Amino acid sequence: MSKKPGATQALHKVIMVGSGGVGKSALTLQFMYDEFVEDYEPTKADSYRKKVVLDGEEVQIDILDTAGQEDYAAIRDNYFRSGEGFLCVFSITEDDSFQATQEFREQILRVKNDENIPFLLVGNKSDLQEKRKVSLADAQARSQQWGVPYVETSAKTRENVDKVFFDLMREIRSRKIEDKSASNGRGKDRAKRKKKKCIIL
Amino acid sequence: MGPPPVVTGISPKEGPPGTRVIVRGEFLGSRAQDLIGLTICGCDCLLSAEWKSQNKIIARSGPCKGRGDIIVTTRSGGQGTSTVQFRGYHETIGPMKESAVWVEEAPMQSFVWGRRALSPTNYQQEDPLGLSVEGNEKKFPEDELIELFGDGSGELASDKFHPGWFLLQHHHATTLDDLKAGLAYLRRKVHSQKEGQLSFLKANVGSVMEQLDTIVLLKEQFESDVQKHGSDPTTKLEKAIKESMAEANKLFDDVLARRDRADATRNALSLMQRYRFLFCMPVNIEKNIKRGNYDLVINDYARVKNLFGNTEVEVFKRVLVEIDERIGKLRNMLHKKLEEMPATLDEQKKIIRNMVNLEAEGDPAWDAIVSHARHLEKSITACVHEHLESESAGGDDSSKTPKSNGSTPMSVKQLRLYKNDINNAPVRVLCVEAICDVVMEQLPDLWRLGQSYFTGQLHVTVDIEKQIPFKNLVLSGMQHAANAMKSSCSSNLEASWLLYNLRCVRQMYASLIHLDLPNEALDIFGKFIFDLRFQCMAALFKQTAENIGALHRKETWQMECLYEDGGITRLPSLFEEMIMEVSKLSRETAVACGPREGPLLAGSAYQALYHNAVRTLFTSFARCLRQLAFSGSEDAMEDEEPSVSQLIASPTGYRTRDNKQHGPTWEQCLLISLSNIRYTLNTVLPRVVEFLKAQGYPELSTAVGWSSDWTELENLDAAVLDAYLERRCDPLVGTIEPSMYLGGLEWDSEVEPTHIRPYAQEALANLIAVHAEVRRVSPSLLKRVLSHIVETIAEELARLMSCVTKFGPSGIIQARADITLLSKALSRYSTPRARSFFEEALDVIPPPRNKEDASRIEALLFKVTRTMRLQLSCLTDQKPDNIIVEGIDSDRTTTVTIQILKFVGG
Repeated sequence: MSKKPGATQALHKVIMVGSGGVGKSALTLQFMYDEFVEDYEPTKADSYRKKVVLDGEEVQIDILDTAGQEDYAAIRDNYFRSGEGFLCVFSITEDDSFQATQEFREQILRVKNDENIPFLLVGNKSDLQEKRKVSLADAQARSQQWGVPYVETSAKTRENVDKVFFDLMREIRSRKIEDKSASNGRGKDRAKRKKKKCIIL
Repeated sequence: MGPPPVVTGISPKEGPPGTRVIVRGEFLGSRAQDLIGLTICGCDCLLSAEWKSQNKIIARSGPCKGRGDIIVTTRSGGQGTSTVQFRGYHETIGPMKESAVWVEEAPMQSFVWGRRALSPTNYQQEDPLGLSVEGNEKKFPEDELIELFGDGSGELASDKFHPGWFLLQHHHATTLDDLKAGLAYLRRKVHSQKEGQLSFLKANVGSVMEQLDTIVLLKEQFESDVQKHGSDPTTKLEKAIKESMAEANKLFDDVLARRDRADATRNALSLMQRYRFLFCMPVNIEKNIKRGNYDLVINDYARVKNLFGNTEVEVFKRVLVEIDERIGKLRNMLHKKLEEMPATLDEQKKIIRNMVNLEAEGDPAWDAIVSHARHLEKSITACVHEHLESESAGGDDSSKTPKSNGSTPMSVKQLRLYKNDINNAPVRVLCVEAICDVVMEQLPDLWRLGQSYFTGQLHVTVDIEKQIPFKNLVLSGMQHAANAMKSSCSSNLEASWLLYNLRCVRQMYASLIHLDLPNEALDIFGKFIFDLRFQCMAALFKQTAENIGALHRKETWQMECLYEDGGITRLPSLFEEMIMEVSKLSRETAVACGPREGPLLAGSAYQALYHNAVRTLFTSFARCLRQLAFSGSEDAMEDEEPSVSQLIASPTGYRTRDNKQHGPTWEQCLLISLSNIRYTLNTVLPRVVEFLKAQGYPELSTAVGWSSDWTELENLDAAVLDAYLERRCDPLVGTIEPSMYLGGLEWDSEVEPTHIRPYAQEALANLIAVHAEVRRVSPSLLKRVLSHIVETIAEELARLMSCVTKFGPSGIIQARADITLLSKALSRYSTPRARSFFEEALDVIPPPRNKEDASRIEALLFKVTRTMRLQLSCLTDQKPDNIIVEGIDSDRTTTVTIQILKFVGG
């Protein structure tokens, strides 16, 4: 991509995380192309970027669709580092995937070293209510514990698909504005953070 | 132009070359053909691109390295852009990576950070400054770097590593603070490594010492081993290794040898497979020959010749030789087959074509023609042989049948019907038919074959010089057929079979005419047909003549029809009918000209023959009539009795009638025959002449001897009349004398004449009987017959009178009255000669002595005339004639009357 539009247009980098098979790619493709993919094909690392209009402002959203499988756990760090916002997805029909969100959350926080990183807890496959294993209450309890929003989506019916991406982008945008205002102290912050980490280690 | 394609998604976003990549975006082409370009990181991937939809393309990445755009180009939207990038990398193979390639593991042991079992990918991405690289998407242009540092490199592992290059390449956008932090990080790392080693040793002195001890122990052990086993323990090992190597080599050699063999076999097999066509050729040829697929064989052969004709390969040559051998056999077989007969034209043509294609030597087409001709000749000969042989074998049958047929008279109608009875056909007829069939079947083929030979349709080099031999072949074949048929027809066949033959031959002729054969050839059959036609005609006439000759059996003597002058039997009309029919039949069959046939009776010689034939009809009829007329003579002779006066015994003719046969007497037969003859001469003959003329036959009147009793009927007529007269006249006249002197009467006795004497009455009565007899048959004969009898009577009377020695006066009266009355009564049928005889008789008698006597004679005459009025009117007057015929219709009456008046006048 040429650098000129990138310079003028805001670019929000979203990373999809979550266990394998919860519907990260399905959500992404539904958002990007209004397309529901039925057949399951494990993702390695996919990249999507398109222009969207966010509250009247034309911005670019960059989605990194990561692998859910444990095989790729080692390389997640690298990906997470570049993320500006995270959609942590689990399947409401699979408790394990819900439990795994804890691990992802921790890894993100460790890599980003930022408690307030834009983050959404997403319970996917809301169309399969009859197979629900994770209660709404449990999910909401966890989101409150983390201090993040919880949204239930369905990549199949497109329920809340746009909502989660746009909500996350809004968070990222407001976060960026925040950062800009405190841009002067940013480097120091980071240095501090690093130092802190070293001390911990 | 539609909107340009935009790639907005890539899955996965990185991978080694050949990664299956799903490219997503918008306007990626309206259909598969619309997609005309796809590059990933500058590598063209169109070849592997699989267009799925407007939003999706699946492709495989090329051998690219580093980050790059995915550019889709479509016909409708042109070159597009990409919002995402693909990163290609070449996987560095490490010990942790599954790989199909052997990886040397040893150097990895001495890896700088050997203890950290990092995957090479991770290692590569590790930044030595501990800073994130992700933020540095903005690359520092490489050419600028080269400009700045020459042949340096940013690679950490490179010999030409240049820190400046590295920093610019990876961190030119990093803030100074970060760089400082990074430097500190690097220092710390280096320091910790250096520090680490020493402190590590310090912390583990015990175990290090232990290791040292162990090493010393090992050394001692090793030295003792050296003492024990010699200074060089490896020699044994080397030997063992060498041995095992030799062993392994041996094993391998074996295996390799087997492999070589297997390879050789495989090669041979694949070669066979590749040239299966050639190797299977001999078998295929055999198979196809058996099936009759010569075309296939020829095709294959031509192909083989083309492909391997100039081959240098020994094996191929061998196969080719074998193939040539088979083809040679095939040629021979085809040649034989060509000469084999019978074969249809198409088959032969096919074979000829095949042989031409096979490049057979010689001239197969000409051979075919010759063998065709020979076969034609042969089959004709065989035909003749077969039939004639059977004829001679069953000679009894065949000789019997014609005889029996010949003896039974057949009407022409029967002749026609007889044709259908083919099963009983004589052998010769069958023979001709068979020959016709043969010619019809084979000659066209031969001719057509020749035509196609000379017009070059057989794809043979045409030898123009062969045209004459060909013509001769055809001609000789036809001549042979004609001769064979002629010899078959020449023997005495019946007309019906001849006609049948003619029909066969004509049919054949017609079929040949269609062939455009040369005139010379057609004339052979034309001449034969002409002869046959004439033979047919002659046979027909001959047959008819025979039939006519047998007509006498049909005679019933029933008077069937009355014509103007009298009655006839059926025979003349039957005869006429037969002539008409035969002439019609022969006209329809033999004389009528078929296609390409000349008029039959044009030549004078043929006309003469024709005349003869017709004349034979008449003469045979005449013979028949003669036979009929004189058939009763023997019977009549038996009945013959000495002629006695009727006054003593009743005349023969009338006496025997009741107790003997019911048929007519011989005399009547004679009369009827006479009538028939006259009718034939006067009515039938002209009618026949007219009819034949109308039928288109030559004029009969030009025949030789036409004027001098051409039909021999005149002759017969005279003979029959004579016979009749003899029969009637002699007894009649013979009785006069005995009757005259019956009872001792003499002319000089003195008996007063009261009536004419009985002899005169008897003569008169007899005459009336004859008259009646004749008249019943044919009134026109009356004059001829009666005048003759009257003449005889007059002569007899004159003789008798002159013999009288003495007349008494009453005798004079009597005699005069007798003679006068007779001469008066018979005057109507008297010829001048008869009249002179009467006068002579009167002259002999002395004249009446006186007037008284004369008046007595007159009175007597008057009286007798009155008493015998009825008898006399029979012979003289026309009135009784009128009375007789009054019952018949008026037309006839008038004509009859006219006839009688004529007679009277004459």
